[in-house]
Amino acid sequence: MKKTILLTVLLATVIFAQVNVDATYSTLGAIAKKIGGDNVKVTILGSSKYDPHFIVPKPSLLSKLRRADLLIINGAGLELGWLPPLLRNANNPKIRNGANGLLDISHFVPMIDVPATVSRAFGDVHSQGNPHYTTDPHIVLIIARAIEKRLIEIDLDNAKAYQTNLINFTKKWQKYLKKYDADMQMCKTKKVVQYHQLFNYFLERYNIKSYGTIEPLPGISPSSKHTIWLINTIKDEKVKVILQDIYHEKRTAHFIADKTGARVALIPHDLGSLKDTGTLESFYNTIKEHLCR
Amino acid sequence: MKKSTLLSLLVVSSVFADAKLDLLQKQLNKQQMQIYALETKNTNQSASFSQNAYLPAIALILNMSAVARDVNNTAYEDLSIPGFIDYNPTNKNSKAELPFNKSRGFNLNYAEVAMHSAVDPYFDAFAIFHLHPHEFEIEEAYVQTRSLPYALRIKAGKFKSNFGRMNFKHQHSWHFDAQPIIYKALFGPDAISDAGIQLQWIAPTDTYIMTGIEALQGTNERSFGDKEINNLYVSYLKSSIDIGEDLSILGGISLAHGKNLTTHTTDVYGVDLTMREQLGAYSSLIWQSEYLQRNKKIDETTNKQGGFYTELIYRINRNYYCGVHYDAITKNDIDLQRYSANHINTDNLNRYLVKIDYKPFSMSRLRLSYSYDRTKVIAGERKNINTVMLSLNIAAGAHGAHNY
Repeated sequence: MKKTILLTVLLATVIFAQVNVDATYSTLGAIAKKIGGDNVKVTILGSSKYDPHFIVPKPSLLSKLRRADLLIINGAGLELGWLPPLLRNANNPKIRNGANGLLDISHFVPMIDVPATVSRAFGDVHSQGNPHYTTDPHIVLIIARAIEKRLIEIDLDNAKAYQTNLINFTKKWQKYLKKYDADMQMCKTKKVVQYHQLFNYFLERYNIKSYGTIEPLPGISPSSKHTIWLINTIKDEKVKVILQDIYHEKRTAHFIADKTGARVALIPHDLGSLKDTGTLESFYNTIKEHLCR
Repeated sequence: MKKSTLLSLLVVSSVFADAKLDLLQKQLNKQQMQIYALETKNTNQSASFSQNAYLPAIALILNMSAVARDVNNTAYEDLSIPGFIDYNPTNKNSKAELPFNKSRGFNLNYAEVAMHSAVDPYFDAFAIFHLHPHEFEIEEAYVQTRSLPYALRIKAGKFKSNFGRMNFKHQHSWHFDAQPIIYKALFGPDAISDAGIQLQWIAPTDTYIMTGIEALQGTNERSFGDKEINNLYVSYLKSSIDIGEDLSILGGISLAHGKNLTTHTTDVYGVDLTMREQLGAYSSLIWQSEYLQRNKKIDETTNKQGGFYTELIYRINRNYYCGVHYDAITKNDIDLQRYSANHINTDNLNRYLVKIDYKPFSMSRLRLSYSYDRTKVIAGERKNINTVMLSLNIAAGAHGAHNY
């Protein structure tokens, strides 16, 4: 009796063996799910409610990393403030730096805002460039391809499934992008300011100019001197929209809005960070709607 | 005549042809050089034998303070914590070690140089050097495996033990600049930090369960210190659960078993509990507590001593933190006759701390703290010490993130 139970349990685990995929952020995780389908179990490590630079390194993340077969990271320094000690303490050689099971998506993305020189005197500048590329819906396909290639390397048995999933997803997404780009052609917002340089990839894609940030330097809280400069810039350049992310304080943005008549647009930075942004389509649609309204 | 004309013409044309060929040859050479230059454009241009790309990550940490205290510096150096640190003027070794914020006035506590690097696919190496004004100290220097199977990891070298909650943390990452009294009393400022070997394992469960064992030299003379052979063994079990997305709880039990200077057994038991509630992107509440008890056998008697600390840290926003901390010695079953004979009260040994941190950026921290310390006997009298301190800590360079 005992033996048969053990055997069925063993058998069950063998039959339903899924690839454990951990993704540091929810947009990456959602794309991994599209490509992996039923062959993967996707776990998101960082909550999209909070600042992606400073995810709380809860010990529960260690047990998630311990069992991962593939860890997908955003890279370009975004996880530098929380992931390295977790990786060292998770004792999982599969996802160690240099192993096949660590996929750094930033290695596949053409980086923008790459600084010529870096110093922390300029605030929290990433030497590799701006890491917030997931706000651009066109980069979704680059991410999907990178994930497909790596999943095939790790789980050759299901290569066919991953290839088919990528083809289907690509078709669907290209169609979505066509409509999305057409909608963005109609978007009246052409000048913005933002809190942090979170949306540069999106803005560059659709030729929207960012005239400054609410934080004086990346990672530094607003100062009154800088806020006055920004108010003057908004007035001079006739900027109509202030892009506010969900995790920074919102007081400064509203203060600036009061002084200038610009509108504060709450923009999600990651899938699920606002209500009804739980799918890739709804996430990018929300960015568009809140920006262009 | 005709012949000679023809000949001269031939000669001329051949001379001209040669000149043309030369020109072509030159052009060809030039193009070949250009092709070669293009072909080698993306090849290695670095200095031969350069290994600069493999340099370890290096961080510099500076810790300094300005202190106001109602005890003068000479008297403070001769402090006692009854039953734990018993200062005896005839014995230099009975002095408390006070590496941090000892002096009224200004202190440069240390310049810490921390380095880490992957050695090869199999090992990571770490070294943390503490440079005190008149002393160089290897705080930690160890290697750690990268690729053991079954979620196992071995660490070897000199390192801070994973005993309890606070033991492995470096001074600059403590919530308060002052060490919890029970740690200071049982182990001194470096806590359990020794040469040895550590094995840790994480269970393949949804709930975080980690266990580890360590064999250490046991040089800490406050609790251990038998010199004849390595004498200290530490083991622990830690577990953590999340309640919802924002509340995480970490608990642990620890045991350190060693031999003390009298070659008898010392056992230290520890339990710890940390709860952390995330209130917002830059706001959180942390409640951390720990109880330690030591059973130290000397000759025929076993002295049982213990105490706890509990602290509450509130991160207000991106830049400000505040916190309160309480320490108490709750068990002190040891011969305290030297104090009672001089009518010194040794009950109610406890301490209160409050602080405010201002962090303009994640790499720098200014901390204002007040301490009311009721654990000390100074110059033959129980003395309640008031301390106000402003400390500055910076981490420059490749300083990595901290653990939970």
